[in-house]
Amino acid sequence: MNILYVEDNKINALVMDKMLSKHDSNVIIAENGSQALKVVKEKNLDLILVDINLGLNQMDGCELLQRFRKLDIIKNTPVFAVTAYAMPGDKQRFINIGFDNYFSKPVNFDKLLSVISTIVVS
Amino acid sequence: MPFTLEQFEILAEKTLHFLFILKKNGEVIAYNNRCETLFTPSYIGEVKYITDYIIDEDVKIFKGAIANLSKENSIISKPFSFVTKNNMVLALKFNLTYHDDLIYATGIDTTEEYKEHRALITLSKLTKTGAWYFNPKTKEMYWSKGCYYIKDLDPDVPMTRELGASFYPIESRARLEGYLDNLIKNKEPYEYTEKIISHKGVEKWVKVVAQPVIYKNEVVYVNGTIADVTERHNYIKKLKYNEETKHLALKGIQSGLFDHIIETNMVFYSSAFKKMLGLPLSQDFVPEEEFRKMIHPEDVENALKRHLDNLNKTGNHYFNYYRLKHHKGTYHHYEVHGFRRKNKKGETVRMIGNLIDVHQKKLDEQTIIEGKSRLQAIVNNAFAYTVLLDTQGKILIADKKSLKIIKQDFNIDPTQTDSFFIDVMPINFKNSFVHTFNEALKGNTIKKEIERITNEGDTQWLESKYTPIFDNDYKINSILVSFHDISERKLAEQAITEAHLREQELSNLKSNILSNFSHEIRTPLNGIMTISNLILEDKYPDEQNQLLKYLEDSKDRLLDTMNKLSNFSEINAIHDNLNFEEVDINYIVETSFREYKYMADSKGLNYTLELDTESPQAKIDINLFRPALNNVIHNAIKYTKKGAVDIYINSEISKKNIYIYIKDTGIGIDKKDFDKIFEPLIQGSVGISRQYEGTGIGLSLSKRYIEILGGKIKLKSKLGKGTELIIIIPRHL
Repeated sequence: MNILYVEDNKINALVMDKMLSKHDSNVIIAENGSQALKVVKEKNLDLILVDINLGLNQMDGCELLQRFRKLDIIKNTPVFAVTAYAMPGDKQRFINIGFDNYFSKPVNFDKLLSVISTIVVS
Repeated sequence: MPFTLEQFEILAEKTLHFLFILKKNGEVIAYNNRCETLFTPSYIGEVKYITDYIIDEDVKIFKGAIANLSKENSIISKPFSFVTKNNMVLALKFNLTYHDDLIYATGIDTTEEYKEHRALITLSKLTKTGAWYFNPKTKEMYWSKGCYYIKDLDPDVPMTRELGASFYPIESRARLEGYLDNLIKNKEPYEYTEKIISHKGVEKWVKVVAQPVIYKNEVVYVNGTIADVTERHNYIKKLKYNEETKHLALKGIQSGLFDHIIETNMVFYSSAFKKMLGLPLSQDFVPEEEFRKMIHPEDVENALKRHLDNLNKTGNHYFNYYRLKHHKGTYHHYEVHGFRRKNKKGETVRMIGNLIDVHQKKLDEQTIIEGKSRLQAIVNNAFAYTVLLDTQGKILIADKKSLKIIKQDFNIDPTQTDSFFIDVMPINFKNSFVHTFNEALKGNTIKKEIERITNEGDTQWLESKYTPIFDNDYKINSILVSFHDISERKLAEQAITEAHLREQELSNLKSNILSNFSHEIRTPLNGIMTISNLILEDKYPDEQNQLLKYLEDSKDRLLDTMNKLSNFSEINAIHDNLNFEEVDINYIVETSFREYKYMADSKGLNYTLELDTESPQAKIDINLFRPALNNVIHNAIKYTKKGAVDIYINSEISKKNIYIYIKDTGIGIDKKDFDKIFEPLIQGSVGISRQYEGTGIGLSLSKRYIEILGGKIKLKSKLGKGTELIIIIPRHL
């Protein structure tokens, strides 16, 4: 299973890779939006995980999602928000924008993995 | 011894008596010489009748008298009047004696007495007077005919004291009888005027005078007169009534009558008036000079001038006014209204008129003036602007401020000329005024808010209120228009609205801050928890050290966030615990500069400090100033990837303040974000960059600390080019 993880915090990206790799997943890290857009065109992806805050003066996860939605190749690829924005209402906000699922940081990996396991590999 | 015949003959011829011997038919048989004054001597054979010489009126009486003579009634005494040869009237009182069918008549000349008698009778008739006498011994009461006439009684009725007294009303009878008794006893004359009821039942007033005739110290008889004074009494009564009427009238208008004789300069004043002024009542006329002393000293000069002007002017009227001193010592206002009589030369010789007490009027006028000035004072002080209009919209009263504006803007003084309010207001108010004024005339109280621009260009909010004023008949007689300055209220309302918005903003900011803190905590926590998990699972033994280092980094970042958070919440407590001390700013800045030298060097930045040439002193709380400055320096280094961070101090720009400049060549800040940069947890964009990690609380904290110390932070920046922060700190020395 190919998973794209868009995350600017290196430690968090690293630990996500380590956690998901254990479960037969191939994790591709993108540090920002433009890298992510490149990756989706090159790789056949099954799932995309997007951090929302991608750094000062950078495209954020919400804008990136809008860009993804315009691309036919990943039209049916689920995109999950993985973010430290975890105040009341945040989850609803991101679901409303169009994310297929939402995970707050610190990530509950049991839950994330169980959701990933339901995704049918193309 | 009897007369001899010769003696008798001489006596008959020399006597002044008129002697006649008459037949019973009046034929003169003999007469003495004296009688020749009546007629020429008779020639022989001539027959003379005495009645030919008696006045017509008496002839009948004479004939009646001699007809009555008889042997039984042989003597009669009666007066008769004759006409002499020279056509004189001669009054003779005759004793007629009847003897042997002849009448012996002796007449005595009473012409003088008769004249007097006639005059007295006439007088008595004309003056309606009667005479009486009373003999206390014999109780004989005599009344002259005059007395009978007064009582409407037949003169033939014999008079007694009791009958005389019966004409007085019962209630006064005993008292008046007492007068006569007292006179007889004490020999004192008396006089009274009393009411009688005549025989015919007519009410009359009589004046009675009585005088005693004393013989051997005893009253032998009482002489008296009685006069009918009814007319006089009625006249006096009428006069008294008129006088009283006049007096009451004068009293009613609190005035005094005067009569000024210019020649003698003496003035007659009515007694009531003299009493009021305390002038002596004994003299009718008062010298003008005496009166002048009563005039108030302040009024004398002008009053005298007016007096003289009055005397010289044409016409007959006189008018003056002044204050007069009452006997009580207080001064009253008087007006003098008079009429002047002039001589042929046109000079005033006499003035008659009235002095009218106008004190109450003056006091009332004064009260009205005072009342008006009080009202004006209320009007001036009660509202910002107050104008009282009549129902036509004409200005009746206006307060000082309004008057000033009207005078200034329209060059009209409503206190001097009739002015309509609509003519003295800005054009854009007129429509609204007409509408509102008409509504008020219907009896409604109306409030309206008006916005105007003052001469100074400030916006002023006025609340105009139109209040109809009703008279006693509940008719509207005026409209009170007041303008209340509600600018302060309006500004307060605006301030409240702004504060409300600000509060809203703050509230949003707070949740923003909380959200950001939550994010900043969750991000490193994510690393810590995941790494801990990986280490515990022990799946990557080769990478243990690497993982532990990641763990350490995440822990540091979490700790940093927590420190800043606790700083931020401390800020309110800081206000109450400030500790100012005088310090050298050069020294303080240098210390901070050194603290961050390692950080700047590790980034390869050109990091410099330029101290002030003086050692600028300032009174600050070092515990606030230090972190504020450190934050700014830390930020400058943090957001600068390459280039320089330069710090320099200047105390020469101003005597009051010291300027500290921190200039970097970092990422810079967009101009539209200048205000936001000092709000907590805002960093360049809504998101928080990993590249420049931090809570963003640093700059807002610095700003607040510096402001607490009375200073300011200024910001100059260009996106991508760098930032210059200027800390301006007051010396407070």
